[in-house]
Amino acid sequence: MAKIEINGLVKKFGKLEVLKGIDLNVEEGEVVCLIGPSGSGKSTLLRCINCLEHPTEGKVTVDGQRLTDKKTDINKARENIGMVFQQFNLFPHLSVIKNIMLAPVDRKKMTKEQAEKKGMELLARVGLADKRDQFPAQLSGGQQQRVAIARALCMGPDVMLFDEPTSALDPEMVGEVLDVMKELAKEGMTMVVVTHEMGFAREVADRVLFLDGGYIVEQGTPEQIFGDPQNERTKSFLEKVL
Amino acid sequence: MTFYDIFQQTMPLLLKGAVITLELTVVVLPLAVLLGLISCLLGMTKYLKFISNIYIAIIRGTPILVQVFFIYFGLTQFLGIRMTAYTAGVISLSMNAGAYLSEIFRGGIQAVNIGQTEAARSLGMPYSSTMGKVILPQAFRIVIPSVVNQFIITLKDTSIISVIGLMDIVMQAKQVIARTYKSFFVWILVGLVYFVICYTLSKISQLIERRLSVGKNRN
Repeated sequence: MAKIEINGLVKKFGKLEVLKGIDLNVEEGEVVCLIGPSGSGKSTLLRCINCLEHPTEGKVTVDGQRLTDKKTDINKARENIGMVFQQFNLFPHLSVIKNIMLAPVDRKKMTKEQAEKKGMELLARVGLADKRDQFPAQLSGGQQQRVAIARALCMGPDVMLFDEPTSALDPEMVGEVLDVMKELAKEGMTMVVVTHEMGFAREVADRVLFLDGGYIVEQGTPEQIFGDPQNERTKSFLEKVL
Repeated sequence: MTFYDIFQQTMPLLLKGAVITLELTVVVLPLAVLLGLISCLLGMTKYLKFISNIYIAIIRGTPILVQVFFIYFGLTQFLGIRMTAYTAGVISLSMNAGAYLSEIFRGGIQAVNIGQTEAARSLGMPYSSTMGKVILPQAFRIVIPSVVNQFIITLKDTSIISVIGLMDIVMQAKQVIARTYKSFFVWILVGLVYFVICYTLSKISQLIERRLSVGKNRN
């Protein structure tokens, strides 16, 4: 069974149909990159996977749990799906370590001591152990995003969703965030990444999906998509961004 | 009679009134905050929102003087009950300030970036924890200046209850003037008493605000 199963996903905002029928399976340990022009529905698709946007039609199943089922405990399911945002969305009133500890302690997954210990391990892993008592506003964008990744990992998710994680960063900070993500991919994390970093997609992705107009227009290995795109729209998009 | 004489005669009475004014304010403000919070939370629900909307519309749509008269004379007659001027003052002032505070709280909550809610919910935190641990602490800092502003307005609005006979600063002043005819000086003194109270209050709030923003960096 695939880690993430999406069947016939349709998402409408009022009359605007953003996703027009998406079918997608992501296997355990797979890294899938979503690329495409703005407004193509990449972010919406990603946000439907943890039901931050509730699908209008279709089914979303993660780890055998049907998220689109009303009876599913959505909070419990989300503990298993980490998400990293374009704007980091760290909690500005909490220090770095408290940002990381908040959810695990609130959800009673860990005691304060356990959460602090795990939080420090994760901070060390993203190279920010010395920033534990700083506030988000005192960190650079790249550092904030790395804290956000540590925060998501502290819940021990099986799946990680990244929504344009480097788009709000200064160019010289993109590398440090991508490095952390590459590490994660290497360790076998199942990842779905919306990105404009074609270099990252080419290097790390197992599969690249090109979205346009609410459909998955083309998909394949990075070699296929970047080296020999079949669809006209994929070709013209890649010509513009590469 | 010199200004000093008037000062000597009037001040003790005005200060006696000031005690009533302050006492009323101290009782009214917590009640108003409570009403404001309840109304604000109702306003964020789907089905009970209309209660909050009607409440705010009525309070904002009518003068406070009419509200005081309605509670003290109208409502008591309709329900056939007796109510002291003090009780009527507390009820009408709390309800009045509560409506404005409700809108201030709503604004504060809405001012917190939606990304904060999304981040908390994506971590599996339920709505209640998201509100309590992520949104409200941030909204609290945002609303402090507006809340203090409303507190000061309410303190000054207590002057309205002199119309139903409570012996606050204004009522004391009216009686002094009735005896002495020294309108000019007495009203200056009244203004002075209010000014000292309000100015002190706003200075204290500035202090609290600064303390809180320091805590933000230390915690």
